[in-house]
Amino acid sequence: MARISKGKYNLQLLVIMAVYVVLMLFEWPLVAKTEGLALRTLLALLPALPVVAVIVLAARMVMRGDELEQRMHLIALSVAMGVVSVASIIGAFLAIARIWVVGGDVLIWVFPALCLVYGATRIVLVRRMTGAWNC
Amino acid sequence: MKNRVRELREAHGWSQGELAERLDVSRQTINAIENGKYDPSLPLAFKLARLFKQRIESMFEPDEERQ
Repeated sequence: MARISKGKYNLQLLVIMAVYVVLMLFEWPLVAKTEGLALRTLLALLPALPVVAVIVLAARMVMRGDELEQRMHLIALSVAMGVVSVASIIGAFLAIARIWVVGGDVLIWVFPALCLVYGATRIVLVRRMTGAWNC
Repeated sequence: MKNRVRELREAHGWSQGELAERLDVSRQTINAIENGKYDPSLPLAFKLARLFKQRIESMFEPDEERQ
């Protein structure tokens, strides 16, 4: 499998994120005003499509990476999963004990938190391995 | 692991990017190998040895301090 160039990856990511922003700005406000359950469900789930597309794009990038890139992706993903899992379980225990009152919409932060920790870990790994800041 | 990748690459007049392209890896991977931050897998080490027409043991040497 041919490697995906950084420029091509960034362009595809930019297009997907632009679609996501457009959906959140123009389609998401319609959810609260929509009456029918089926249409409301469809509108509510529509922004999940670009998120899935980002995950597929990232997976393709990892699969086509070389051995060092794959290793760094794996370490960064493991760290992100560990940090977010621990934060989730702590939050869940606090919520069950009614110490921290939180709604179900807090789940929206799981994916961004994963991305954030993954990205930060990648920056540290790339810096340590290659001395570069460019991931 | 000590290696002679930088020395051999420079002897061939290749940049890190050119070597990376020939091996189908990223320039960052070549950089990490040359600086001893990353030891390549056996298949990649063989690809390097074949490209530079060297025996693998003449290119890579265990780092005594890390033994």
